[in-house]
Amino acid sequence: MRTVSRRLFLSWVSSALPVALVARRTDALAAAWIADDAETLRALAEAVLPSELGREGIARVVRDFQRWIDDYREHAEIVHGYGTSALRFTRPSPRAKWALQLEKLGHRTSDVGHRGGFASLPLEARRTIVAEELKDEKVDRMPDVATAPHVAIGLLAFFYGTAEAADLAYGARIGREQCRPLAASPRKPLPIAGARA
Amino acid sequence: MTYMRKRRVVESDVCIIGSGISAAMVADKLARERSASIVVVEAGEDVPPLDRRPALRQRFLYYDENPWPNDHLEGYEIEGPLQSRSMCVGGLAMHWGGVTPRFSPEDFRVKSLYGVGSDWPISYDDLEPHYVEAERVLGVAGEQGPPELDPRSKPFPMPMLPLTYNLELLKGWVTKAGIAMWSQPSAKNSVPYGGRAQCCRNDTCTPICPIGAKYSPDFTWSALRRAKQVELHTRTLVRRLDVDEHGRITSATAVRRGTRDEEVEYRAKVFVVAGGYVWSSHLLLASRNARFPNGVANASGLVGKYLCGHRNVQAFVRLPMKLYPGINEQHSLVTKQFMRVPARQDGKYLRHDLRVWESASGQAPRLRDDSGALMLGDDVMRDWRKRTERGVARVRAYYDVIPDRASELTLDASKKNAFGDPLPKLAFRDAPESAELKEWSEETIRALMRDMARAGDGEVLRTQSDEFQDHPAGGCRMGSDPGSSVTDSWGRSHDHENLFVVGAPTCVSASCANATLTFCALALRSGEEIGRAFPWRGRARAT
Repeated sequence: MRTVSRRLFLSWVSSALPVALVARRTDALAAAWIADDAETLRALAEAVLPSELGREGIARVVRDFQRWIDDYREHAEIVHGYGTSALRFTRPSPRAKWALQLEKLGHRTSDVGHRGGFASLPLEARRTIVAEELKDEKVDRMPDVATAPHVAIGLLAFFYGTAEAADLAYGARIGREQCRPLAASPRKPLPIAGARA
Repeated sequence: MTYMRKRRVVESDVCIIGSGISAAMVADKLARERSASIVVVEAGEDVPPLDRRPALRQRFLYYDENPWPNDHLEGYEIEGPLQSRSMCVGGLAMHWGGVTPRFSPEDFRVKSLYGVGSDWPISYDDLEPHYVEAERVLGVAGEQGPPELDPRSKPFPMPMLPLTYNLELLKGWVTKAGIAMWSQPSAKNSVPYGGRAQCCRNDTCTPICPIGAKYSPDFTWSALRRAKQVELHTRTLVRRLDVDEHGRITSATAVRRGTRDEEVEYRAKVFVVAGGYVWSSHLLLASRNARFPNGVANASGLVGKYLCGHRNVQAFVRLPMKLYPGINEQHSLVTKQFMRVPARQDGKYLRHDLRVWESASGQAPRLRDDSGALMLGDDVMRDWRKRTERGVARVRAYYDVIPDRASELTLDASKKNAFGDPLPKLAFRDAPESAELKEWSEETIRALMRDMARAGDGEVLRTQSDEFQDHPAGGCRMGSDPGSSVTDSWGRSHDHENLFVVGAPTCVSASCANATLTFCALALRSGEEIGRAFPWRGRARAT
């Protein structure tokens, strides 16, 4: 049970504690918050991901996305660039920011005159809320997941970066970046049943 | 109280400094053929074993994390275009693409044939047996191109990597454009080879092959260490070479990095500097002293000079054909049609390779449509699907850049490593004959790409050229004249008879194709000469 709102908690700790400690504590709490908000996250996924994934497919993407968030490591070295000696590192975890955004989505239901939670809204109403949340984001292409300015964009970038998404787009079982027989590479990828190959 | 730093002495017949791909070639050849004790000194760490690589790859795919943790030394941010920070067992070839074309015969005679740059002291024919040997040691899968374009004395050790469905379609297109292309030779197993698995198109060759189907030098080191044919010392940074009054290298002074930073003195009959195009010249220059104020092996004043590489121009061409990006994206078509050209009537020099890949450029999923409206739900997939109907090819040409003498590595007095040694500074410069033709060269290549697009009823979506000179080499160029080169054609220093520099640094020029196979062939040729000082091993001579 939550006794303090996330925004209130964050404003309190950030004024009272050193930055590093705040970041660690916030990240730990954010993990729990996102887990708490699994229903909102799933409802968000239903609104932004393609319906052809079906309920099970969407649930699977949400689980994988949560695992992605949980396994994210801050300040891990990024693969070397060529032509430079500069090293690059992963950014701070987006988890806390995304947790707050999820909570905010939950509160936006009253904006559309609804008493229930975000998950109980019809899909179009959810999309309207998400679109309103994203209206000021200057994002055109799918960003790297970790740099997504909003949890909805993070979820989209995560899914659309998968081999599954590419297969759906091309209507064929390409299986990008997965171990596949070399001998099959000259053959046209098999169509996905029901898809436009 | 005086602190006495402990110094360990290690003796061997051959001391190899560096453990990258050229070092691996020399060690492997000596171990196969000669009775000689070999010690290899590597500044960096061991790399993770094969069984950890699938998990490391997954983190790369998910988070872009470096799959080779701790593969560099701290504090080595240098000025200039360093190819890579990697300094570990296996070196840069731990994350190479495994692409292994040969140079063409013209590369060794550009002065004679085209009146630019310098000829090498060896010909293609001199190097050809070592190309064959390198292809066998690495395990190269390849297709024989048209013999007039792709001369070779022996077949590839493995059948070619099959052309993908996409590449077969693209081959039809380039054939219509009048270009003969074939499967790019690659050090990737088209069949199980060398105790390593067959490629299964994981398609992350750069930066990591999770199953070991792509050759990397760690496999050679593992085999040699297992057989106790080499002793490989990691975390040990060689800081200078020491020379006796007869001009022979007596020792390499190193520091074993750690809490105590133990000093180690390596004594050997022969020293092999195998630190690639940066760290080889750097070590020679950093070994300067009162007797050799310009560094070791540098009577010519050319150590660190004539750094070379090739620039590229690339285009993304949309074609009226449905392609399926991701079948094997790192594999490509290649031609040498524009490498094997006669001198032009107008005297202008341009030689380049040409490769074609499948691509998803310009077809990535997006959040906003052409009008800028946000898309959610099915709209994103619908929009993406619509844009996949036509295929995109990536076309790239590396073109030969003639290096200037002032294309150089120098010691940077303003930046030092943890032991107080100056770091290198890099600056690449074209020779005047290349500098004045740069714009023309790149426009000529772009025009070719436009012609190709037209031949396939396609359109060039965009072109780009890159200032970075890829596959850098040079710095200890080989030659017959000690006044204009650092080593002889075997990589032996003109100044010190028991000192060899091997691989990339000895290149006179960088051609216009991926150069790693040539580095390997040169290193194997050096290994042949180094080996002459030692007795044959068992039945090696007969084989």
